[in-house]
Amino acid sequence: MLVYVVGILVTGVWLFLLSQGLGSSDILQTLTQIATLPETKSLHNFIEVATPHLFAMATLIFVVAHFMLFSTKISQRFSLRFSVLLFIVALLNILAYILIIFGVVVSGWIKLLLLALFVLLFLLLLGMVAFSL
Amino acid sequence: MKFLVTKDLAHSTLLGNLMAGVSVALFFYLGLDTVLHAYVIGSDMLSITNTLYGNVEEFIEPILLDSLLLQVHIDLFMSLFSIMIISSIYIRLYSDKSVTKWLMHMLFILGLLAPLFLMVAYFTSIGFVYAWLVCFGLGHLLGMGMSLRIIKKLLFK
Repeated sequence: MLVYVVGILVTGVWLFLLSQGLGSSDILQTLTQIATLPETKSLHNFIEVATPHLFAMATLIFVVAHFMLFSTKISQRFSLRFSVLLFIVALLNILAYILIIFGVVVSGWIKLLLLALFVLLFLLLLGMVAFSL
Repeated sequence: MKFLVTKDLAHSTLLGNLMAGVSVALFFYLGLDTVLHAYVIGSDMLSITNTLYGNVEEFIEPILLDSLLLQVHIDLFMSLFSIMIISSIYIRLYSDKSVTKWLMHMLFILGLLAPLFLMVAYFTSIGFVYAWLVCFGLGHLLGMGMSLRIIKKLLFK
């Protein structure tokens, strides 16, 4: 199951980078481009991506995090706080692009930061589950 | 899936029926997923290779990486959930059988290898298309077989 989640995260990040122009430039160039001037998206595009992700990311976090209930090595309180933090970061990550669409921020650093934070936290959760089981 | 292992089925016909219901749905999901992939990727070797690599003589463009990656991304998510639900119910009903453990391993490995081989086939050669076909077909057949065994045990005791 943990390998499946890693696969989902990798393909998800890859898809995001492709939508930002990874196909025609290298990864560093793409990251710089996202940070300085991200691809323009319509509200329709945003909703099309955000809607399935709200369901999918929440259920995925729920399924992975519920294994921490069986853990005897990591406290339930820590698992609870970590899971809530991951839920919040996932929600902010999904909604980050709306700030770019409405022109609240011009650069895409916030989306990059939240995406990196989400992937890092999720990988940590997977590590915690692997360590516990 | 903790609720599936802690509740005693003998005292809960509701839980038994719920598990049978989700197994019936997953049986049809796996069947229709095969049909969907036949439409999207192709139903024979010629149409699959035309989709993945294109065909210069027939002016067919290969599938875009974005589209294939999106398909693999969705496949991984759907496989994970369908396999987890089937396996947790199956373990609940057949935990005393020694073959259960091997069936679980097979199901998870085949479900993971199928999208992986599809991506590898796109970047490398036709050989991996066969590997994808075997993993995809066997994985879906195994999942459907396990769903049928669950339904049989729950509804026709």
